[in-house]
Amino acid sequence: MGTFIQQIINGLSLGSVYALIAVGYSLVYSILLFSNFAHGGFLVIGGYICYYTLNLMGANIWLAGFAALIGAGFCAVLTERLAYKPIRERTSVTLYLLIASMGMSIVIENLFVIIAGGRFRALPPVIPTAPVDLFGLATTSAFDLLSLAAAVVFLGGLQLFLTRTKWGLAIRAAAYDLRVAGLMGVNVGRLISIVFFVAGLLAAVGGIFLSVRYTLYPQLGAITIKAFVAAVIGGLGSLPGAVVGSLILGLAEMLTAGFLSSQLRDLVVFSLLVITLIVRPSGLFGKDIKEKV
Amino acid sequence: MTDSQTPLLSVRNLCVSYGAIKAVQNVSIDVFAGEIVSVIGANGAGKSTLMSAVMGDVRRESGDVFLDGKVLAKKSFQVVTQGLSLAPEGRKVFAPLTVFENLMMGAFPRNDRSGIDDDLKRVFTLFPRLEERREQYAGTLSGGEQQMLAIGRALMSRPRVLLLDEPSLGLAPIIIKEIFRELKLINEQGTTILLVEQNARQALLLSHRAYVLQTGHLIKEGLSADLLRDPDIEAAYLGGGHRKL
Ligand SMILES: Nc1ncnc2c1ncn2[C@@H]1O[C@H](COP(=O)(O)OP(=O)(O)OP(=O)(O)O)[C@@H](O)[C@H]1O
Ligand SMILES: [Mg+2]
Repeated sequence: MGTFIQQIINGLSLGSVYALIAVGYSLVYSILLFSNFAHGGFLVIGGYICYYTLNLMGANIWLAGFAALIGAGFCAVLTERLAYKPIRERTSVTLYLLIASMGMSIVIENLFVIIAGGRFRALPPVIPTAPVDLFGLATTSAFDLLSLAAAVVFLGGLQLFLTRTKWGLAIRAAAYDLRVAGLMGVNVGRLISIVFFVAGLLAAVGGIFLSVRYTLYPQLGAITIKAFVAAVIGGLGSLPGAVVGSLILGLAEMLTAGFLSSQLRDLVVFSLLVITLIVRPSGLFGKDIKEKV
Repeated sequence: MTDSQTPLLSVRNLCVSYGAIKAVQNVSIDVFAGEIVSVIGANGAGKSTLMSAVMGDVRRESGDVFLDGKVLAKKSFQVVTQGLSLAPEGRKVFAPLTVFENLMMGAFPRNDRSGIDDDLKRVFTLFPRLEERREQYAGTLSGGEQQMLAIGRALMSRPRVLLLDEPSLGLAPIIIKEIFRELKLINEQGTTILLVEQNARQALLLSHRAYVLQTGHLIKEGLSADLLRDPDIEAAYLGGGHRKL
């Protein structure tokens, strides 16, 4: 029983990190209808900014985290401006955006291979990982609880932004019809920048927790594939879907690791994807998908 | 409304193409303050393209658009800020948003809280059904209600010229009557209107002046009352009673 509860908490913790990544990815998808493969790059950028501000500048985790979030947000906006905007303005074929994003993903990864080198780096122990006793039922780590809490705070913040602010309303409208949002007087270019900033920021939160969990390296962004899978299971473009899909994935992984074998984790993940695509291609919360990747 | 004053909205020699298709060619239209002007034409005549080009939603290939003598911006959001708004063809309400949220989207460029509240009241007075369905998702409204919402939403930016693209599309005659009655009222309250319609009779009955668009060209213009009696128009656009009401 103890192991079970422990694995559930581990699963939710991992799932919550996936959710931070998947939600931003889904948000971009809902507006521009393409799968942004450079999204993983944003979390790597966040991870390295955090690493360097901690190590070189001796900043505390709050300052380093803040710098990482803002920095990754800006890099996401920059990526959009440099690589996607010129394409968006010339064509409405989203396949070109997809290809450009694959290119940007490689660019970002290699930038860090050059700047930081390919080796694995451990973040200083800035996030507590001490074991925590859960009312005698199970033991878990402070890290798992903290990553869960961080996800709740940031996703809750996103929810408030989307439902309580004018630009949040505009983003929800644009997710339904970007053109018509423009006809309402919304500066579509600025809206897209805001969306990328938010996506980059959330990815950086996920990136910091992943760097602590697994160490940091230029290819860490590849883990975004899990978030993509989660977003597809939940329904591409749906934010609640991305969250639920991520939690399901995190739980499935941790329960598999805990009770079957760690080696089967990824197999289970992709089986879930295949099953979703066969049984319910639009995902749990999905509308009909206009364009699939 | 006399020709001596400058038009509020003036389209000069506008051309728009989609690749090789010339959808609008050399079209010039004037709309004076206080008027209702309609543009009538069959399917594919270029009516929607004209509206989209004025709004900056489709690229203007050549020609100019002026609002109150000043050149209109090229991007939609700037055009809206300058004082135009469009209730697009097919209504295009934001289905997953509530009626209230749709109306607030219409007011997006504004920050004057009390002015927005006044206009919200105005829209609810014009279309009481919208007020009853304030918290309902727009996607669940009937076609007529969605059209009312599209018009209300366009009014929420308090436009100097309200552009309407086929507000009668797909609606029952009784609903069309109701909506056109409110359009008349909106105009009497001071909003200038440019309307494009396939439903020529309704459009001519409502408007002061009208233009006839055929495969991208203007072929006729005049007072709506005159066009209603014009035998060519009668034959092509009003005749037989077989046309969609
Ligand atoms: N996005 C587009 N790409 C290519 N051609 C287009 C596009 N939109 C319109 N057209 C073409 O431009 C011409 C004018 O179309 P438009 O929609 O402006 O006509 P309309 O008068 O509004 O017709 P309807 O009464 O059916 O709405 C048509 O020949 C149409 O096929
Ligand atoms: Mg049309």
